[in-house]
Formats: sequence, structure tokens, C-alpha cells
Amino acid sequence: MSDMTASVPRKDNSTRLLLLPGVIWMMLFLITPILMIVYVSFWTQTTFNISPDPTLASWKQFFSSDTYIGSLWTTMRIWLIVLAMTFIVGYPTALFVGLLVKSKTLSTILLVICVIPFWTSFLIRVLAWRPMLGKEGAINILLLKAGIIQQPIEVLLFTELSVIIGMTQIYCVFMVGPIAFMLARIDRNIIEAARDLGAGFGRIFWKIIFPLSMPGVVVGAIFVSVMVLGEFATSGALSGRKVNLLGNIIVTQVGSLKWAMASVVGVILTVVMGVVIAGFLRIVDLKREL
Amino acid sequence: MEAAVFRLEGVTKRYGDLVTLDNVSLDVGVNEYVSFLGPSGSGKTTLLRVIAGFETPDSGRVFFEGRDITYLPAHERGIGFVFQNFALFPHLTVIKNVGFGLTHGKTPLAAAEVDRRAREMIAMVGLAGMEDRGVDQISGGQRQRVALARTLAMEPKLVLLDEPLGALDANLRGRMRNELRAIRERLGVTFLHVTGSENEALAMGDRVVVLDRGRIIQSGTADQVYDTPASPDVAHYLNRFNLFEGVLSAGHFTGAFGTVRVPSARGSDRDIYAVRYDRMRVRSALAPADGPALPATFVASEYLGSSIMNFFETGDGQVVELEHHLSLGAPDTYEARKDYILTWDPDQAIVFGREAL
Repeated sequence: MSDMTASVPRKDNSTRLLLLPGVIWMMLFLITPILMIVYVSFWTQTTFNISPDPTLASWKQFFSSDTYIGSLWTTMRIWLIVLAMTFIVGYPTALFVGLLVKSKTLSTILLVICVIPFWTSFLIRVLAWRPMLGKEGAINILLLKAGIIQQPIEVLLFTELSVIIGMTQIYCVFMVGPIAFMLARIDRNIIEAARDLGAGFGRIFWKIIFPLSMPGVVVGAIFVSVMVLGEFATSGALSGRKVNLLGNIIVTQVGSLKWAMASVVGVILTVVMGVVIAGFLRIVDLKREL
Repeated sequence: MEAAVFRLEGVTKRYGDLVTLDNVSLDVGVNEYVSFLGPSGSGKTTLLRVIAGFETPDSGRVFFEGRDITYLPAHERGIGFVFQNFALFPHLTVIKNVGFGLTHGKTPLAAAEVDRRAREMIAMVGLAGMEDRGVDQISGGQRQRVALARTLAMEPKLVLLDEPLGALDANLRGRMRNELRAIRERLGVTFLHVTGSENEALAMGDRVVVLDRGRIIQSGTADQVYDTPASPDVAHYLNRFNLFEGVLSAGHFTGAFGTVRVPSARGSDRDIYAVRYDRMRVRSALAPADGPALPATFVASEYLGSSIMNFFETGDGQVVELEHHLSLGAPDTYEARKDYILTWDPDQAIVFGREAL
């Protein structure tokens, strides 16, 4: 008995020891920088100088400027559109890969094919859209040759549309992966049981398959949201500077050494992401599902 | 047979070169309980899936209530299927599972009617009070009942059960066996039950159909199959017989136990001598020989509650099992690795031979 009580604290110590590296890492590289950003957002910024005197000037400037508020709304709008697009394109793909393909080998091969674009660099993937979407790009040439259009479509590149097309393509796989994984876990007997009970394909999908894939949808949506909300490269390369996301603002502010303003935008972006993730996690109890 | 509710005619199913069902024909009457017995790979699950409509046979016909349903999709057949792993909808409660077919089936019912019928079925399988539990919050036996209630709620004329008791522990299996039978008698529905367990098949079925390599090798009542297995394979699957090889010639069978007179023999493609486990007797190796005498060494015994299984090994390594019912008196004890003579009444043996007698 005394042996047991003696061994409990020791075990406790060793579990704490196991946590230590992770805790130190997170403190140093996550918690401290976030606190630092919050702190810096209240610093006083002059044209070529920054001093730690506390002020609300940068915050006031952000919320009184149409450009900044506008970019907040643009970010939200593009995020929602890209989220919807990746879902619309990704879900049927995941349904095919995860559920309709019967052979495990084939579905693995298909998933790998989805990932292949990631073997090239991010920048090349984004820039490759330019010769596709440009005024003299592949799509316009094809449509012109086919006689479907007489004038090249100019809205394809350097617009919000091109940013949405580019982002949807890049982030779609993050939606497909988790959904396909959840769908592949569904016991086929369940679907046959539903069929045997007289349910048609539509009912089986909406009442059985879709609810069971929800955790995958939520995880996919979190992946896509986090990446799209922090985006700056795709909008930088494909919008011709016409679409300014919060990420782009941070890049330009940091580029001109406006650390206080960059921090304000950083804090706002972090809060938005936190709210979005918390919202998604309310939909599904991931602890139960995984 | 009067009023066959269900009929198979020459059903054949192949997967590539593998013939899983080979020209299977069968009639099943109203309110019958049929057990399909066979080793794994004998095609019993495939047969059930063909009947349910999850597979289409390559040739042959399936009739149900006088209609040809060979190519009818599963949900239009009115045949219930209970899956081996229950296949409950994991995200739904017990009552939503049971009511699924009533709500989302071909002819959806009003919510109040669904609720009433689902509750009725849940009460019938003895789960009243558990309606709103999630199916992951109930035990294996309860899940089995939910699966059954979900199928029965559709009021099928024919219920297919794919090894429904396989996932349960032995105790629960015995109880569910009784309950399945009681439920069936109450509803007057035909049950087709697939099982790999000879005990289950013999205990449950009004009729036992033995399958092997995609063929029906015997079909009859439980005691018919048990007392007069149609072939050495059936005797083997029943797991109740010691089978000996040898030669049947001119009314005598010659095997490791000597030459024994054979009063009758069933036609077969090979000569096999079968003796039921509980028909065998042990004699001391020194006692004078009379009738069949099989020299064997005692290996071990197993206590089964109402009987004792004794295991002997013959000179060529064959294990011979011998069952002693304790109601017949205290068992003799045998010494391990010691030689004994096994014998039996030749009139109680079942003999298969190329020359039928």
C-alpha cells in the first residue's frame, strides 16, 4: 500500500517530464510571439521609428481606414467563396475516391494523384495559372479557336476570380483528404442495410453517408480556412495587386517597417481564425469521432 | 411442399474462375426456420446475398411469393437482412435505427406512426426504455436486438440472418437463440439463418441445409441430418463423428480397427466409416478382442459440464474423440500415453461406400 502511494507522485513527475519539451517549444515559439504581437500592436509608430510607449493609434487607424476594413471584408468574402468552392469540388471527388472506388489500391493511387501537385513549389503552382488564365493564355486560345468567343475574356486573370480559381485548386486537396478518409471508414454493410430497408440513393446519402462524413468536412474546412485566411501569395501573384487580403497588408506593412500596424492586422487575423475554428468545432464533437 | 414462399432454381454465381454457388435449388415454405450450415467458403453468405438482392446470380432464378425477383433491387424485395456485424447506423439512436426503414423506405409513414411502430418493435425485442440511447452506448447483445428490430419493423415475409450470433459470447448466444425462435413463432415469418456452427444449425432450424463448395449436399430436419448424414462431408461438418478410411467390400469394411460386418452402406465417392463420438467405448488393451478394435493411446480429456470429451490418438496420428455423458454414470479415468482399445457396436456405425448396400 505504501509502495503504491509512493509510486503515484513519481509517475506523475515522469508524465510532466514527457510534456516538458512540448510545453517549452510552444511557450517559446507560439505563446510568446503571440503575446509579443499583441504588445507591439500598442506601440507608438512614427515614420522611421517605433517605441514601446503604449498607444491605441494603430488600432484606431485600422478601424477608421476604408482600405483596412475593406481588406478585412475581402478576406472574409474570399475565404467563404473558396471554402464553398473547395467543398463543392472536393466532396464529390472524396465521395468517388473514398466510397465509390471499391479497390483500396486504386483509392490510394487516386489520393496520391491529388497530392502530386504539391511536389512542385507553391510559387510555381500559383504562377502556372498565369499562362493558363491570361489574355493570351491557354483557356482564351482554346475558346477562341473553338469559336465560342470572339474576344479574349479578360476577367480571367488579375481579378478576384483568378484568385478564387487559384486558391480553390491549391487547397482543394486539403478538403478531399479528410473527407475521403472519413468516407472510407464507413462500413459498407451499413449502406447495404439502408438499401435493404428501402432507402433510395438520395436518402442514404443525406441520412447516412453525409452525417458520417461530417467530421471529415469539418477537419477539411478547418485546414482550408486556416490556410486561406492567412493567404498572401496567391492574391499577390494572381490579382495584380487588386485584391488585398489581410495577409497582403501584413506583408506590405512589414516591408515598410510599420511593425505596429502589422501587429494590429496580425492580432485581428488570429482572432478571426480562432473564432472560425471554434465555430467549426461546435458542429462536430471531434473527440468522439477520432 | 405446400405454398413455397421462396424458391431457388439452379442459382449459380462465379467470381472469376471461382464457383461460389453451383446450381443451387431450394424450396422454403411459409413460417419455416431454415439453417444453412457450411464451412467458411462454402458459399452460404453469397447465397444469402443473392437472395437479399446484393448480388445477382450468373444463372438461375430466384422466386419470392410467386414472383421472379432475380433482378429486382434489394429494397424492392421485401426481404429483411440482419448483418453479421449488425451494421447499425452509428450516428443514430436506437429508435432512429429501428424507425429508419419506416421513415426513409419506399413508402414513408407519418412520424407518429413510425414512432409507435418503432417503440412496439423495441419493446418486442426487450429493449424498452433504451429508445434514446446511442447505438455505441449499448452492449453487443442489445445491438443484435436493435438490428433484428430494425429489420422486423419493415414486416418482411422473409428474414435473412447472416451468422447473427457469431459476434456474441457463448452465454448470450444461447439466450439469443431461444429469443430468435420465440420472436419468429410470434410473427410467423420465414427465417433463413446462415451459420458456421453445427450446434446452432441443429438447435435452431426446422430444417438444416448443408452447403459445401457452393452446393447443397444435404437438406432435412435437424434429426434427419444428425442421424443420417448424406455424405462423409456432412458427417464431418456436423463435428459429431469420428471418420475412418478403409475399404468396403462384400458387406465388410476393413480399416485400422480390423474387418467389420456392415449391415448397410450409403453410396459415396469414397469408403468412409463413421462412428458418433458418444457411441464409442474404451476397452483395456489386454481384454479379448471382439468386434471392431481400434488401438489408440489416450491423450487428454475435456470437461464440458454434462459430458466429458476424451481424446485418443491412433497409430497413424488420427485424433479420435469419445464423448461420455455424465448422466450415464461417473466417467472412467484413463492414463495419458497409455494404450487402449476403442470399440463400438457395428450396427450403430454409419458407412459410406462406393458400393451402396
